[in-house]
Amino acid sequence: MAFSTRNSSTTTKHTAKRVAIGAAAIALTLVVAGCSSGKASSTDGASKTLTIDKAFDLKTADPGRMYEPTGQLVDKALYETLLTFKGGDVSKVVDGVASLDESSDAKTFTLTLNGTHTFSDGTEMTADDVVFSLQRVIGLKGNPSFLLAGVTVTKKDAKTVVLTTKTATPALPSILANPALGILNSKVVKANGGATDSSDTAEKYLNAHSAGSGPYVLDSLNLSSKVVLTANKKYDGEQPGYGRVVIQNVEGATQKINVQGGSADVALDLSGTQAAGLGSSVDVTSDPSANVIFLLLNQSSKVSKITSNPDFVKAVKEAIDFDDLVSIAGTGTAQAAGVVPSMFLGALGEGDALKQDLAASKSDLAKSGYNGEKITLNFPSDITLNGIEFPTIAQRLQSQLKTAGITVDLAPAPVATELDAYRNGTETVGLWYWGPDYPDPSDYLVFTPGNVVGLRAGWAAGADPAISKLADAAAVGGSNDERQTQFEDLQKALNDDGPFIPLLQPGNNIAAASDVTGVVYNAVWTIDIAALRSK
Amino acid sequence: MTTSTATRPPRARSVSRGGHPFARYALRRVITSLLLVVGVTLVTFILTNLVPGDPVAAALGQRAAEDPAIVAQFQSEYGLDKPLVVQYFTYLGNLLHGDLGTSTTTHNAVTSDLSSALPATLEIAIGAIVLSVIIGVVLGTVAAYRRGKASDHVLRVVSLAGLSVPTFWLALVLYYVFYFKLHIAPGSGRLSSDFNAPPTITGLYTVDALLAGQLDTFLDAAAHLFLPVLVLTLYTVGLLTRFVRTAVLEILDQDYVRAARAKGLPTRTVIWSYVLRGASIPILTVVGLAFGSLLSGTVLVESIFAWPGIGSYAYQAASHLDLPGVMGVGLLIGVMYLLVNLIVDLLYGVIDPRVRLAS
Repeated sequence: MAFSTRNSSTTTKHTAKRVAIGAAAIALTLVVAGCSSGKASSTDGASKTLTIDKAFDLKTADPGRMYEPTGQLVDKALYETLLTFKGGDVSKVVDGVASLDESSDAKTFTLTLNGTHTFSDGTEMTADDVVFSLQRVIGLKGNPSFLLAGVTVTKKDAKTVVLTTKTATPALPSILANPALGILNSKVVKANGGATDSSDTAEKYLNAHSAGSGPYVLDSLNLSSKVVLTANKKYDGEQPGYGRVVIQNVEGATQKINVQGGSADVALDLSGTQAAGLGSSVDVTSDPSANVIFLLLNQSSKVSKITSNPDFVKAVKEAIDFDDLVSIAGTGTAQAAGVVPSMFLGALGEGDALKQDLAASKSDLAKSGYNGEKITLNFPSDITLNGIEFPTIAQRLQSQLKTAGITVDLAPAPVATELDAYRNGTETVGLWYWGPDYPDPSDYLVFTPGNVVGLRAGWAAGADPAISKLADAAAVGGSNDERQTQFEDLQKALNDDGPFIPLLQPGNNIAAASDVTGVVYNAVWTIDIAALRSK
Repeated sequence: MTTSTATRPPRARSVSRGGHPFARYALRRVITSLLLVVGVTLVTFILTNLVPGDPVAAALGQRAAEDPAIVAQFQSEYGLDKPLVVQYFTYLGNLLHGDLGTSTTTHNAVTSDLSSALPATLEIAIGAIVLSVIIGVVLGTVAAYRRGKASDHVLRVVSLAGLSVPTFWLALVLYYVFYFKLHIAPGSGRLSSDFNAPPTITGLYTVDALLAGQLDTFLDAAAHLFLPVLVLTLYTVGLLTRFVRTAVLEILDQDYVRAARAKGLPTRTVIWSYVLRGASIPILTVVGLAFGSLLSGTVLVESIFAWPGIGSYAYQAASHLDLPGVMGVGLLIGVMYLLVNLIVDLLYGVIDPRVRLAS
C-alpha cells in the first residue's frame, strides 16, 4: 500500500512536469508566432544601414546650441547652410543654398537663395527661414552665438538676405558654412517653442526631430549612445548612398576592433598607432587635423622672470626636436609650421616651420642668464587629441629640454581644473591646443598681443607693436592672395618673436570598410555622411 | 512545555511595545536609511562644489565663455549665481519633488538621463550578480570542503586572478577574442545597428523586447549582454569565492555541523541545511556589497563595450564638470547602496530571528 502511494505520487509529479513543459512549449510557440521583428533595415541597396563609430561629445542636435565635433557631423547631414565647402577643401567657400555677393570692405554680405530648396516636410525654404535661423543663433546666447557676434541679419526680399557688420569681417563667408548656422524650417520650429531669444524651448523638439533640408532626417537621438538618421526623400540634391545611418558612441580602442570585425563601417577616432596595421578589409584615410598643439611661455614678469626673457623663449624654441614629436604622435601627424593649420588660407609652408638647433639654444640660454631653475609645465592630463595623449607629449618635451639644459617640472591636472589657470594667464609654461572655431585664419588673431590667447600667455596689448601692426593689417582682409601674404608675415613674426611654439597638427585617421567610398576628411564636420557610398 | 512558557513573556513585551518585532526592525532600518540619504545629498553637494574648476568654463565653448552675457545667462539658468547655501536648499527642495536639476551637458532633466542610463547598468549588473552568486557559492563551498587539496589551491589562484586582472584589460582581450577572432559574440553596444530599441517599458532591452514580442531583438540584446556580464562576473566570482570559502570554513568547524555529519546525514543535506544556512549572513553581506560595487563601478567595462549606463554617464558628467549630473549620479549610487544594504539588513532579520529579536 505504501509502495502504491509513493508510485502514485511519482506519477502525479511526472504528469505535473509534463503539463508544465507542455504549457511552456505552447507559450513559447505563441510568443514566436506572435513575434514581430525589431530589425530596422535590409542589407542591400539604398536601404542598407551604415554604422559609424564616434567617441561622442554630443550635447545637442539643435543647430542654435550645438558646437561640438559630433554635433557638426550630425547637423551637417540634417541641415543645409547658406554657403559650404567642397570635400575637404576649407580654404574656399562655395554656394550652399545661396550665392554670395560680398562688398569690397567685407562689411555687407548679400545672400540670394539659389533655386528651390525644400524642407523635409515639403515646405519651400524662404528668406524668412534664413532670417529666423540666424537670428535664433544670435538670440539664444548659446555656444555658437559668437559666430554671428556683431552681425545684423535683414530680409531684403523673399529670396534675399543681407548680413551687415560694423567692422570688416572677411571670415564671415567661412563662418556661414558651419552646420551650427544650418537653416531651419521656421514654421515647424516656432510651432514647437522656437524663438529668436532666450525664451526658445525648441531644443527638446530638435533633439527628437529634425527641421531641415539636409540629405537626412533625424530618426532618433540618444546623447550618450546613438544617433539614427534616415534618408530625406524630399532632399533636393543627389540621394545619399545609405538609407539609414547609425552613429554610435564608441571609444577608440573598441572602434578599431569594431571596424576590423565588421560591426562598424567607419571609425572616426583612431590614433596613429591604432590606425597602423589594420587589415586589408579596412581603408585608412590619414590627414593632419585642424587642431594645433602648442606651447606657451608666459611673458608676464609677475608670473615668471625666466619665461618672460626673450632669449629664454628663443632657447626653448631651438631646443625642441619636432621630428621626434611627430614620430611619437603616429600616422597622419605633421609639425605645425605656424598657428594657422596647414589646410587653411594663410598657412605657412613646411620650410617656414621652427627647427631644432641645440647649439643656438645653448647660446641663447646662456644669454638669458638661466641658471637651471625649475620651470613648471602645466598641461591637461586627461586630454587625448586625435589619439595623442598630452602627458606623452609633455614627458617628451621635458626630456628634450633637459638635453638643452632646461629643467622642467611637469604639473598635470584634469582639464576641468587646469582650464582656469590657462584662461587666467597664470601658467608659467602651458601645453594646450587650439581647435578652429571656423576655418579662416582670422580665428588665429587671438594669438597676438592683447587678444584672448595672447593674454593667456601674459602678452598684453602693446607688448610687441610690430606684431600688433601685422595683426591689424590681417584683420582688415582683402583678396585671398593678399590675405595669404598677410597671415604668412604675421606667423613668421610670431615664430620669431612670439611666446608660442606651434608643435603638432595631430593626425586625423578615419578607418572605413573597403566597400565604403567617398571618405574625405573635412576640418569642420569631419566627414560628409551623405557623400559616402557603398561599392 | 517549559520552553514554551519561558519564551512567551518576551514576545508579549515585544507586541506591547508597538507591533511585530520584524516590522519594528524594518521600520528602524528604513528611517535610518532615509536620514542617510539626506546625509548623502549634503556630502555629495559639498564634494561636488569643492572640486576646483569652473563649471561655466567647462560647459561653454572657449568663445562663448568669453561673452559676459552668455556666461550670465548660463549661471542664471543653472542657479550658479546664487550662494552655495541657497543652491543646496533649492536642490533639497527640488529633490522632494523628484527634481534633480538639469544637466549642463545634455540639457536634459538629470532624472531623465539617469532613468535611461540606469536600466542599461542594471541589465548587466543583475546578470553578473546572479551568475556570480551561483558560481561563487559553488566554488567557495567546494574550495572549503576540499581545504588544502589541489582543487582548493587551484580555485584560490583562479579567484585571486579574477580579482587581480584589470577589468578594462580583460574586457578588451575578451572582446578581441570572442568578437573579432572567434565571431561568437556580437559587436559593442546594447543592440546591433540593424535593430531599433524595443518600446520602453522597463528599460531592460531583453525584457522590453519580449514584452513587445520581438524575439529577434531579444536574442540580439541577450547576445550583447554576454561579454559585459562575463567580464563583471569573472571579477565578482573571484571576490565571492574567497568570501564564501572563508565563511564556509568557519561553519564547518561548528559543533552542530559535526553532529549532523556524525548522524550520517547526506553531504548535500549538511551543505544546504546546515553549512550554507549558517554561512548565509556573511555571504549575503558580501553579495550586497558586490552588487552595489557592480552598479557604481562599471565605468571601464561600459566604456569598452560602448554600454550607455550609469558609469558612462558619470564619466561624462565628471569630465564636463556637469555639477547636477555628478550630484545626480552620486545621489543615485548612494541611494542604491543604502537600498541594497537595507534589503540585506531586512534579509538578516528573515534569516536569523536573533537579529530581529535583538532589535
